[in-house]
Amino acid sequence: MNYPVWQLDAFGGGLLIAIIAIIHVYISHFAVGGGLFLVLTEMKGLREGSSEILAYTRRHTKFFLLLTMVLGGMTGVGIWFTIALLSPAATSSLIHIFVFAFAIEWVFFLAEIVSLLFYYYTFDRLSPRKHLILGWIYFGCAWASLFTINGIIDFMLTPGSWLTDNNFWSGFFNPTFWPALFFRTFMALMIAGLFGFMTSVNIKETTLRHKMVRYCGLWLLPPLVLLLGSALWYKTALPPALQEMIFNRAPEMKPFLALFIWLSPLITACGLAMAVLRPQGVRRPLAWLLLLLGFLYLGSFEFIREGGRRPYLIHDYMYSTSIKKTDLPQVQKTGLLASARWVKNRKITPENRMDAGKELFTLLCLPCHSAGGPLNDILPLARRFSPAGMRSFLATMGPANPYMPPFAGTEEEQAVLADYLTTGLVQGISDNKTHIRKETIAPIPFNEETAEYLLLASADKGMILSSEPEQSGIDFSFAPPTLRAQVILRGTAPSVLTEDIQVTYRIDTDNGPLIGNMIPSGTAFEANLAAIPTVSKDFRPYLLAKIEAVKDGNIITSTRLKIGISTEIGCRNCHGGPWRQQGRTGLSRETAAAILAIHDKRSKTQLSQEFARGQIVVCQSCHADSSRGAAGQSGLLNLSAAMHGFHAVYLYKDNNSCAFCHANSAEGATGKLEDLHGTLGLECTSCHGTLADHAISLLKEEQQAQKSGSSKLLILLADKGEVASAAIKGRKPWDMEPDCLTCHKGFQPPDTSTAFNSWNADKKDLFVHRHSEDGVLLCSSCHGTQHSLYPTDNPYSKEAGNLQPLQYQNNPYPLGTNRGCAVCHTVAMEDELHHPGSLGTFRARME
Amino acid sequence: MIPAQLVPTPDLLQVPWGWFQLLLSTTFLLHLLVMNIMLGWAIIAFCNHAFKQTIPAENQLISQKLPFTIAFTVNFGVAPLLFLQILYGHFIYTSSVLMAVFWLSVIAFLILAYSAAYIYNLQFTRLSGLHTLVSGIIALLLLIITFLFTNNMSLMVSPESWVRYFDHPQGMLLSFTDSTLLPRFLHSVFASVAVGGLSLGLYLDWQRRHGNQAASARIPSAMNWFVYATIGNFGVGTWYFGGLPAAIRTVTGVAGAFLLGFLLAGITAAILSLIYGRQHRVRHASWATLAAITCMTGVRELVRRQTLAPWFSTSDLEVAPQYSPMILFLLIFAAGLYLVWWMIKLVLPADKEVRS
Repeated sequence: MNYPVWQLDAFGGGLLIAIIAIIHVYISHFAVGGGLFLVLTEMKGLREGSSEILAYTRRHTKFFLLLTMVLGGMTGVGIWFTIALLSPAATSSLIHIFVFAFAIEWVFFLAEIVSLLFYYYTFDRLSPRKHLILGWIYFGCAWASLFTINGIIDFMLTPGSWLTDNNFWSGFFNPTFWPALFFRTFMALMIAGLFGFMTSVNIKETTLRHKMVRYCGLWLLPPLVLLLGSALWYKTALPPALQEMIFNRAPEMKPFLALFIWLSPLITACGLAMAVLRPQGVRRPLAWLLLLLGFLYLGSFEFIREGGRRPYLIHDYMYSTSIKKTDLPQVQKTGLLASARWVKNRKITPENRMDAGKELFTLLCLPCHSAGGPLNDILPLARRFSPAGMRSFLATMGPANPYMPPFAGTEEEQAVLADYLTTGLVQGISDNKTHIRKETIAPIPFNEETAEYLLLASADKGMILSSEPEQSGIDFSFAPPTLRAQVILRGTAPSVLTEDIQVTYRIDTDNGPLIGNMIPSGTAFEANLAAIPTVSKDFRPYLLAKIEAVKDGNIITSTRLKIGISTEIGCRNCHGGPWRQQGRTGLSRETAAAILAIHDKRSKTQLSQEFARGQIVVCQSCHADSSRGAAGQSGLLNLSAAMHGFHAVYLYKDNNSCAFCHANSAEGATGKLEDLHGTLGLECTSCHGTLADHAISLLKEEQQAQKSGSSKLLILLADKGEVASAAIKGRKPWDMEPDCLTCHKGFQPPDTSTAFNSWNADKKDLFVHRHSEDGVLLCSSCHGTQHSLYPTDNPYSKEAGNLQPLQYQNNPYPLGTNRGCAVCHTVAMEDELHHPGSLGTFRARME
Repeated sequence: MIPAQLVPTPDLLQVPWGWFQLLLSTTFLLHLLVMNIMLGWAIIAFCNHAFKQTIPAENQLISQKLPFTIAFTVNFGVAPLLFLQILYGHFIYTSSVLMAVFWLSVIAFLILAYSAAYIYNLQFTRLSGLHTLVSGIIALLLLIITFLFTNNMSLMVSPESWVRYFDHPQGMLLSFTDSTLLPRFLHSVFASVAVGGLSLGLYLDWQRRHGNQAASARIPSAMNWFVYATIGNFGVGTWYFGGLPAAIRTVTGVAGAFLLGFLLAGITAAILSLIYGRQHRVRHASWATLAAITCMTGVRELVRRQTLAPWFSTSDLEVAPQYSPMILFLLIFAAGLYLVWWMIKLVLPADKEVRS
């Protein structure tokens, strides 16, 4: 924010510092441990009176001097240059906080150079005692350098009480200073042994070679054991939040942790092999291998330590974007473009929107990400998101994704950056323009004068979501629909028929018709479909069924029913991949694979392997789903709680969050909520609450059942909703839903438009099971299917959702509305038999 | 774009800026001396290989000591760069980012030059016809590094040129818009050759005083490098000073008095060093040169302060006092210098000792 950003493109993402730092750190640890190696080896030669060992020491010193002074010394300065170029603000902070520590280290550096040059150039020219003194001075100064730099490095990870007192000594002797010092000291000794192997395997005289190789083994193995002990101490010295971050919450750390853990026994084994195996053909490659393993060992540790600081450069003080934690609220308020120094576009206009987005990208993304490089490449991440998905991701950085700093800017800047990342930086995954093929559907004719029967049909769900398991390879679809039908014998005292009648259904699909009988159940006939029917190739968000009632072999009445099914599942907004069908709907295998990869990464599952083998991954096999009768695995969240609970953490907080995943976007392939309430301007959140509130209600029930992960998600969601978390009532998905009578108290016009947090107590109270007050008619027989209540306004067809009212009344309103009782009763009625208000005039008129 | 808007906010100091200025100027002087010897020797060695029929004995000496000069130039460079970052970090971090590719390449060039210096050292007798090439590579790399340092020192005091970043954010900017860049660079190069020659003269003088009469005959050659390079530097120095903005050359008040005082004293010392150099009075010339370099270091610092005056003054820096770290540093610094001196004393009679 204070400094310009070096735009490195492919070379960004920490590549430069990773290369320079790991080389330097490896050699600089050698420079410390190797110093002790030199003097102790010289002492060994003197003690044993071995001129060969002394000669070896001298040769090793030459190697040591050239490597540590040329490559070690210069890359040390190189690190300084590099961090100042990549993170000038943090470097400036470190330099200003620890200027005199750096200056002290410089003095030790000077003494190191002088003593090492003298040590090398005075072999055979000084008395052994004086020569050894020079060696000890070198080692003392080198270790003192390590002591000093260790304080600064670990300050960045654990600044401790410096954060409050700003005292030099608090920062220097920070909480991990001592364990890190021991850790690095043992690492230095170990590395001295590894480099010792490199020179000792080349000793020409066989006996001396074996002797010195074993001697080097002593430098490797005991320090390795002590190093592991100090590593455990290091771990326990980390603050609990950092431990949680490094060892549990950050999946990116896992490979490095695993590498560090597995390399310990591997290095031990190779070290033992060096001592035992004598052929040169084995030892020389093994020495190189050990050197490489040591490099990886130290490298993995440094990656863990560096990663542990994320999203900070200096933990809890300065974010990786070089914005101080204390400055963040102000930046979020005034905007980054208005606060940063190195920007051209201080205000966002329609003309400079992309340019401003690029500047935000430079300031906020490039400090950590490369663009097309081998490390932290942002391009594949950006390609994965839609603009809305990216905006959600940006908005939830920090709490939901603790690896990333909270977004430093205004909501407008968030949107601009999201647009730039997904449409400017990369070719985005914007949707094809939805093409709606409108159709006119003729209802089945009905002669009010002569008709004896009515057939009223509905489905139990109006917005069935299908993940199309056969195509996508992943199954988290809703339960297949249950069709219901009631046959009414018209008359002044109409009756509902269930005996001596057969009711059949026929659903036309591209794969042929689905035909079946409906079974009597109470006052209705029911058919539980075995699977969700396949949507048509030319997508429309419904299928049409024809229901027929047969008596004595004759069709006595029939009707048509719309079954709302959509495959428009918005996973690709964040998980990437194309739509499966027509560029506008359907879960593709690419998207499914990305979902499973993340699931595997976060939940340690191996679903991707199943997927790759061609198996369909059924989410309900682990996560319970009462609508499908899936018990799931005990201890795991049910599917609704897991889905909503997890994603609510990541999705942008607004009323349109539902459309990220569900098919209710006006611009989407399915179109907006078609039912009466949608036409009246109500949104999903009116009944279900915002995504966070909805998720909290589901998670609370799971928390009661002590389900794993519920409490952690509830903490993350605590301040994301609009209703106080404590006030939200838990509910079981599919069994407890928003109740119509919350708004329509006593079946009267509503005095509120919010049904959230008032659930039906029992499954039988669900709209889908509820009857009129006389206990005969299903609510859905007259009002239609939930989410598809009459009158509907479906963009594909004005008639599709209103086929029965159109058939029987020639209008789209609920059956019998506007005193249309004659449709069943054949005469006008005076009493409100079905529910209070049923003789009222329908208020929501359609044009 | 207003350049002042681009100047970052500096961080707090732990002790008043004067302490850091003192440490900066002192350690920079040390760095400058060793750096001049390093670069000067590299150029002289190359010229001797390239233009002389036989390899002078000085080249053998240079080959033995050049790696040390690189090591100490880098080491003595660390301290002033550290203190420079304390006082002017918000300028030099910025300019470094603007020329980041070149600035970071300094490290690569340094490693190459250092490696080549060790090849020149350890393989001197085996290089045969490759002496010119190797010494030429060393000299070229060190000249490039010098040029890049000159660029950064120029760019850091030119916030008005920073706006070019918006068109070239890849770290590929250099300070070619600064008319003093070339004379400033050449001033360093000529000074290096002069000090390189003078240091060779000093070494030969020391050899002569310790009974090596052959060394006496080689002193004039070494001092010629010093004399001619110094004469050349008068011209380059005038070019450099003339290229400075008039507002700096004609600055008045206390700053103006100090600038004029340092400049005149430096020129006087340089003239004296030239006279002594022509007379081959090496030690006198050395003292005079040390005085000239000290004064010119002061001039350089004053010019930087005046150039930055529209944007910043070190006295603007805020202080959150913490003295104990500095006290510890000064104690360790003193102990470190004593330790180095003690080691030198330990080692000096080394030739007389025989390993048992």
